[in-house]
Amino acid sequence: MTGWSNPWLAAKRLFHQATIGDQNYRFLFRPGPPDEVVAIDCETTGLDVAHDEIITIAAIRIRGSRILASERFEALVRPDVRIAPEAIKVHHLLESEAKAGALIYHVLPDLLRFIGGRPLVGYYLEFDIAMLNKAVLGFIGVELPNKRIEVSRLYHERKYGDAPPGTVVDLSFAAMLADLGIPRLSQHDAVNDALMTAMAYVALRDLKRRGARIPRPRMKAPLQPGGV
Amino acid sequence: MTQAFDASNPPFDRLELREIETLRASLDVGYFTPGEVLIAQNAPSESLFIIIKGAVEERDGDELVALLGPRDAFDGRAIVQGESGHAFVARDETLCWLAPKTTVLDLIKRSPRFGAFFYLDISRKLDALEHEAEDQRVGSLMRGRLSDVFMHPATFIEADESIEAAGRRMRDVNSNTLLVRDRDRIGIITGMNLSKGVVLGRLPLETPVRALAHFDVVRLRPDDFVYEALLLMTKHNKRRIAVHDGERYLGVVEDIDLLSFIAGNAQIVAGRIDRAATLDDLAAAAAEIAEQVRILRRQGLKPSVIAEIVSDLNRRLFASLFAMVAPASIREAGCLIVMGSEGRGEQTVRTDQDNGLILAHPVNEAELAAFRTAFSGTLARFGFPPCPGAVMVSNPFWSRPLADFEADFRRWIALPDADAHLNVAIFLDAEAVAGDAALLAKAKAALMDAVRGEQAYLARFAKAVDAFETPIGLFNQLVTAEGAGDALDLKRGGLFPLVHGARALALEKGIPATNTEARLMHLGRIGMLKPAFARQCVDAFQFLAGLRLDAQLAQAAGGSGALVRPAALTTMERDLLRDAFQVVKQFREIVRRHFNLGLFG
Repeated sequence: MTGWSNPWLAAKRLFHQATIGDQNYRFLFRPGPPDEVVAIDCETTGLDVAHDEIITIAAIRIRGSRILASERFEALVRPDVRIAPEAIKVHHLLESEAKAGALIYHVLPDLLRFIGGRPLVGYYLEFDIAMLNKAVLGFIGVELPNKRIEVSRLYHERKYGDAPPGTVVDLSFAAMLADLGIPRLSQHDAVNDALMTAMAYVALRDLKRRGARIPRPRMKAPLQPGGV
Repeated sequence: MTQAFDASNPPFDRLELREIETLRASLDVGYFTPGEVLIAQNAPSESLFIIIKGAVEERDGDELVALLGPRDAFDGRAIVQGESGHAFVARDETLCWLAPKTTVLDLIKRSPRFGAFFYLDISRKLDALEHEAEDQRVGSLMRGRLSDVFMHPATFIEADESIEAAGRRMRDVNSNTLLVRDRDRIGIITGMNLSKGVVLGRLPLETPVRALAHFDVVRLRPDDFVYEALLLMTKHNKRRIAVHDGERYLGVVEDIDLLSFIAGNAQIVAGRIDRAATLDDLAAAAAEIAEQVRILRRQGLKPSVIAEIVSDLNRRLFASLFAMVAPASIREAGCLIVMGSEGRGEQTVRTDQDNGLILAHPVNEAELAAFRTAFSGTLARFGFPPCPGAVMVSNPFWSRPLADFEADFRRWIALPDADAHLNVAIFLDAEAVAGDAALLAKAKAALMDAVRGEQAYLARFAKAVDAFETPIGLFNQLVTAEGAGDALDLKRGGLFPLVHGARALALEKGIPATNTEARLMHLGRIGMLKPAFARQCVDAFQFLAGLRLDAQLAQAAGGSGALVRPAALTTMERDLLRDAFQVVKQFREIVRRHFNLGLFG
């Protein structure tokens, strides 16, 4: 579940801790306040890590079972590349709006201080972190060292952990929200996505604590007139 | 919090845009595991909770007071008073928005309309809501469709036909308006057009109506809105509009029909009852009484006012019928009474007959028997279903000499069984409708005398307030959102305890009023209830009666068939419903303590 289980990541972290370029950001390696994590989501110009760029970043702290939405971090970033038309369709951020944003290097100090040493929570978090790392590496000389909590993995474990082989697995964001009864806020807005991710995280963590599972429909989903 | 928080949900819909932004920016989200306490009983709370998903139990000690679901907000009391009255415990996995207390208090100060939601007593909340509901009702009235309005049937006459023929046709179809067909064009002609042509224009009766008809007919479709008809009439200075469904003419709507659709015509119905010369006239008037309820409710009248108007019409009807059906011997010796909800003046949607006859002395048996059958039978024909418990004139038990009633009162009180309690309750609510009202006054005085000082009897009588529990089931359905709502719950758990508790206290105190609100206010005046609390009881009663009436009307109109569905209520109505049940519960407690009902198992 966390990066520590992977010795490669652990070694990389140690290396980074030793080689961090900007000593002001050593706090990233110190543990954050106990029982706090940060849900994070980025909207990007596209899905290609090598060429696309971040447009918006939203991060929300979770303290215990309280999602501190009122103290969220939210930034509009000015991308260096043109936004792919397909991406505009997804998040409705026009190029002109994105231009109003700040350069990523002006945004990073606040974001890093907001995150601190807290574990990061996300849905397909690898992508968001890879996007962030492109900038972070150049900025402070190391990649984000934070523990990572993948919500889709928690969801998989609660729903399909004991599934017989051959079960059809659906880990889509929509399926997860529906299973947890979390309302669909308008999606592809980084703050809303981060908020829904945070809600899913606290719900899944509680299910895990209580050893409760999400029921799987036996065969086909029963017909639900009028939808869910 | 971005757009995620739904500010259209009351009471937040009363906030201004900037206030909503302030609120949104301050919101956090809390997650609660089943069994977790959100607010402990009699504890302060740092947040107002608004449920996103899940279910929260509102508890008073061990007792479940209410079950709250998505969009419900709590606890105003913990915010405003600094201490919650009840405990709030998560039943399911629950997510809530958490609005900081300081922000909410600040918004309450800035926005009185928003603040009204947090008033502690239901009376002030209802006052604050009153005119909003009114706006809505006027709105819904104007959104009525033309097909809902009374329409004169489309009757045609050829343009070549004479003025005289048109006059006769109008008389035959009992309408003042005809459609005139002149080859391709269609016109309208009215009785007034004919009169003016003949009297002022001195036209011969043989003149073709073409000369008098108006061919600039304004047409609307049956599914057009009532307000469009009003606008067109004003704009074109027309008093009539033809209704056409695209293929043919369905009828003509006159301005007076539109006005009576909007304003109702209770006075007209009253006049019709008073002028009725035959049973058929009365039957026609009786049919119109029921329709008044819907019209009056659409106007936004309180159920108590509607009930008053409808009771008055019903009583006029009964009195007229009595005058027509009863022979002289019975008219002179008898007093016709209505009982139960009809007697309390709380009947709106027609239920069944609850009536009786008190005689000063025995009358001719054959005449009495004939009257019994004729009176109850005719009412049944008028659409007043016979009473299943046979509390009606046709039952000799309820139509007999005063002395017999008095003898039974003593028996009912000495040997009270379930029937006896029911009989006392029904009779206590009696009102005289026709004949010698002094007979009923004497009978009631005898009943109250017989009960005076009989504390054990009074306690047994009052015990029925405990018959039904507060309808938590109502809120369960809210959460599962699939159960058909149940108006019985509203009646039993809400209205009945108020009605019966007020009745029992009125019996003990010798209060002559029969109407529940009047009894409650009287109890307030004599200090039996705190006056402010009496007012709250009245408001709770009116609110519950209003919900019930709306449900009954919806059902009568072929709605879902379900009665009161909590899920169909607005958050505000659900909140008021909780408050109303809370008042009922307190009132029940007072009655219970007063009569020492704890002693009876």
